[in-house]
Amino acid sequence: MAVNRLSGSDLHGASEWGSESLACGRDAATAWDRAEVGVTPDEHERGCPHCAAAFADARRLDSVVHRMSNADVEPPPSVMDRVMAAVRTDLRPHDLLALDSPHGPARLSRPAAAAVLRNVVDRMGGVRARSCRIEQLDGRDDADVTITVTARFGVDLASVTARVRQMVLAAGEQALGVPVRRVDIDVVDVFDSSVDGAGGGAGGGAGGGKDGRR
Amino acid sequence: MTHGTPPVRLHVGDTAVARIAAQRACRVPGVVALRADLAQALLGIADAVLGQERTLRTDGVKAAVNGDSAEVTVTVVTRLGHNCRDVARAVQREVADEIARHTGLQVQVSVTVADILLD
Repeated sequence: MAVNRLSGSDLHGASEWGSESLACGRDAATAWDRAEVGVTPDEHERGCPHCAAAFADARRLDSVVHRMSNADVEPPPSVMDRVMAAVRTDLRPHDLLALDSPHGPARLSRPAAAAVLRNVVDRMGGVRARSCRIEQLDGRDDADVTITVTARFGVDLASVTARVRQMVLAAGEQALGVPVRRVDIDVVDVFDSSVDGAGGGAGGGAGGGKDGRR
Repeated sequence: MTHGTPPVRLHVGDTAVARIAAQRACRVPGVVALRADLAQALLGIADAVLGQERTLRTDGVKAAVNGDSAEVTVTVVTRLGHNCRDVARAVQREVADEIARHTGLQVQVSVTVADILLD
């Protein structure tokens, strides 16, 4: 901005301390104030590049300030999801399973893996998964799975457990890439097929809670 | 300097490596998204609110360059139906190759599959 301090020989705006004159001699603060209150520029101000610049500066600041103060502060819709996902990731940074890889360290979130196993078991007929725990011995890639299930009333429990076992073994290898060494199945309850069985029954059962249902 | 080509010393920064890794990891089949940690998520939100959406993101990637080698950590989200082990191996292989091609650095890539979408 073209602002000069005309020390001593200031003819126009000598009244206030610190007043700054434009190159044309007009006072910068006066021009600014006139622009701010919305006065129509006089003939000099219209033609003078310095005064016009001061007017433009004032209007620009005014528009910025008002635009920002009037704008509703609204977080983008994904903010909550992003924060919660990050919090979940940071909360249990060491709750990870090792994946076998020739290229370096590879890991898999244990809660995510448990959710997959519960999901595939839930999709089977006649059985619902409750909790699922996956344990890996240090330095080994294969895992022991403990899963608690509820079975539909009247279903043969021996064949249900055999199917669940097969499903867990297959899902571990195909979906997770974690070979399953042993599957422990705990049938903690039965549910009536006329009622939605997923939430039925009492208590969390053995091993419930740690990797509880999402 | 007296004859031949003058010696050139090239140093590639951590952020450059991280951006290359993030770009490549996103395009690996089975990778749905990269998962930012808490600090990166908050910084990303700050940028979004301030209207400075960056074109190249490093969310979910940490990189550290030591001399002519680098260590890169990538955190990814995949979807049920892709084998997590195979996705992790592919990310390691592809990211290491891409960084080596761009920078000449030897890279060790660590991958964490942070989540598996079930839908």
